[in-house]
Amino acid sequence: MIEWSEMHLAIRDAFRRFVEAEIKPNLTELEHGDTPPYAVLRKMVETFGLADMARAKFAKDLAREARERDPGAPPRERKPSPEAGNEVAMQMIPIIELCHYCPGMVTALGVSMGLTARAITSRGTRVQKERWALPLLTLETIGAWAITEPSSGSDAFGAMLSTARRDGEGYVLNGSKTFITNGPYADTIVFICKLDEGNEPRERKIVSFILDKGMPGLTQSKPLRKMGLHSSPTGELFLEDVRVGKDRLIGETEEAQSRSGAKETFASERTGVAAMALGIVLQCQKLSIEYAKTRVQFGRPIGEFQLIQLKLAKMEVARMNLQNLVFRQIEMASAGKSMALAEASACKLYAAQAAMDVCLEAVQLFGGNGYMAEYQVEQLCRDAKVLQIYGGTDEIQVSQIARSLLAG
Amino acid sequence: MKILVPLKRVADPDNANKVKIPAAGDKIETTGLEWKPNPFDEYALEAALRLTENGQTPKVRAGEVVVVTFGPKETEQTLRAALATGADRAIRIDTTDDKLDGDLVARALAALIEKEKPDVVVMGKQAVDGDSNQVGQILAELLDWPMATFAATIKEEAGALVVSREVDGGVATMRVKLPAIVTVDLRIVAPTSVYSTKTAATFKYNDGVRFAALPAIMAAKKKLLVEIKLADLAADQALKVEYKAFQAPPARKAGIKVKDVTELVTRLKNEAKVL
Ligand SMILES: Cc1cc2nc3c(=O)[nH]c(=O)nc-3n(C[C@H](O)[C@H](O)[C@H](O)COP(=O)(O)OP(=O)(O)OC[C@H]3O[C@@H](n4cnc5c(N)ncnc54)[C@H](O)[C@@H]3O)c2cc1C
Repeated sequence: MIEWSEMHLAIRDAFRRFVEAEIKPNLTELEHGDTPPYAVLRKMVETFGLADMARAKFAKDLAREARERDPGAPPRERKPSPEAGNEVAMQMIPIIELCHYCPGMVTALGVSMGLTARAITSRGTRVQKERWALPLLTLETIGAWAITEPSSGSDAFGAMLSTARRDGEGYVLNGSKTFITNGPYADTIVFICKLDEGNEPRERKIVSFILDKGMPGLTQSKPLRKMGLHSSPTGELFLEDVRVGKDRLIGETEEAQSRSGAKETFASERTGVAAMALGIVLQCQKLSIEYAKTRVQFGRPIGEFQLIQLKLAKMEVARMNLQNLVFRQIEMASAGKSMALAEASACKLYAAQAAMDVCLEAVQLFGGNGYMAEYQVEQLCRDAKVLQIYGGTDEIQVSQIARSLLAG
Repeated sequence: MKILVPLKRVADPDNANKVKIPAAGDKIETTGLEWKPNPFDEYALEAALRLTENGQTPKVRAGEVVVVTFGPKETEQTLRAALATGADRAIRIDTTDDKLDGDLVARALAALIEKEKPDVVVMGKQAVDGDSNQVGQILAELLDWPMATFAATIKEEAGALVVSREVDGGVATMRVKLPAIVTVDLRIVAPTSVYSTKTAATFKYNDGVRFAALPAIMAAKKKLLVEIKLADLAADQALKVEYKAFQAPPARKAGIKVKDVTELVTRLKNEAKVL
């Protein structure tokens, strides 16, 4: 793929119009206040008929799985299909457009409709999918996916303290989670913890449970104060003897391999970052070009100074690379391939750094105005920083890329 | 009811400052401009869609909405967007943007209307680039059809449309028999501006023009879009309007701050001479 199709451009224009009408005028409340993003996101889902599309895809996926479970069915192979590429493109385009203004909205939306729903659809039982995943996919409910704890971040599994203890037919859950996207408002929470069978914490199995808002013993904190990404509420979760039945254990089996499940979730989370970075870079570049043409110093537009030109040229290089990474993801989906973890890590590492570099250059190009909220680049700059931290820090991506290189 | 909606693409009106006039001053430089549908034409399309549906079930079209534009291949993007929004079929009259004036457009449309035989032509009152505000009126004259201009509301009745427009100090309402030409103003997209005979009088639309849902954007690719040569509709392509020169408006002078109301009043009286 070397460029967007005419249809993709039409979709882009439609989302752009929505973002300019519904988000741009409310940017201050969304990015400098405490207004949660869900009302606008639900309006977007309704406007573009995304809930019906999600329902149709959900039914199709269930039917396919049922066919594959049939013992006589041929083994599943992924065939090349432009359809699959198109599906990825249609996920990327809204991400790119929303990130011109609110990368946080993409985070809130992605964690709910993406991460949380996928944790349930990929390992859950049919009943669990229908009860919890479908309403997440249509954004009727808001989801959170909770793995990080105060003392376990990058070493998510190793240092994890949250536990599930067997209790008759069910389980008792304890622990605390932090930095959880949508945590303060989530209706449905995927809680990842260790099965305490009286063994050493390092040897315990990883299991995931589905929780509902308001369950006895579950506390959802207020949004935490943070550097940026204000359109994505982030909070803490506290579990004190939360009693759950086996119907809330994802897959209804303790052998559901939650460790690899969580790893797959990481890989898919990483691939979205290129599209986010592209949206941020496109907006920084657009604002910077306008400013470079109109801001006059020493009797000339600053765009005539070579040091400013260097910034614009570097932004363009980043834009091209990010655009091509996005196209590669679409192309891979069309070819029926999925990205290996190391490649997804490399993409995420590059994309996050490129977005951060471009944002810092944009702030610099705007001078004092760049530091002022009115000119938006400072907001994007604060938002971009999170791309280097969540979904695995830059350092963790580096070590994963290197590990794969050295493994051969 | 069959409705024809002419659409024009214009340079993005929100970025009017990007419009450049070359030194010769003989034209407007169009390269590098971002194109958008003329807002009044988008309102016309919205009105046409409302007239051919029950507001409760906007996916079902009662009748037909045909959109038409004049221009090179790229203008098909404007037509596709209209098809995604709900129009049934599109026609592109192949020509370049700068070989047109209101008279030629109206003559070509009149010839097209002979073939298409719509019940109504709903169009924007003017395009926001040239602001000529002529095509609807010339077209009504050529066809000898009744016309209602600057419509703020339209209500369908059997064989007629009741159209109102805002005038100084009130609202003028008229009934036009079909076939007719209606040009619309911006209030036409308010929640209670347009009612087909199928839409309940209590129904309220969302304010503004509708968005195309994603599945509709994808389906628009498969809708019929035909190309007609301008020469097939208008043998005589001579322009009646000749553009002699273009000039950018003079730069606005910087404003001043006044001390108090007294100074403001004095200056309005003596300098601005508006009091
Ligand atoms: C806005 C936001 C939203 C988030 N949303 C969620 C969510 O929805 N769900 C969820 O579960 N989590 C979420 N997180 C948590 C996020 O995934 C973690 O913050 C991240 O994985 C890093 O963990 P940590 O903060 O504990 O940092 P630490 O792991 O303590 O890292 C501190 C520093 O040490 C470095 N470091 C750690 N280990 C190594 C190593 N082996 N080699 C080299 N350097 C190392 C790190 O790179 C970092 O620079 C979110 C975080 C933020 C900021």
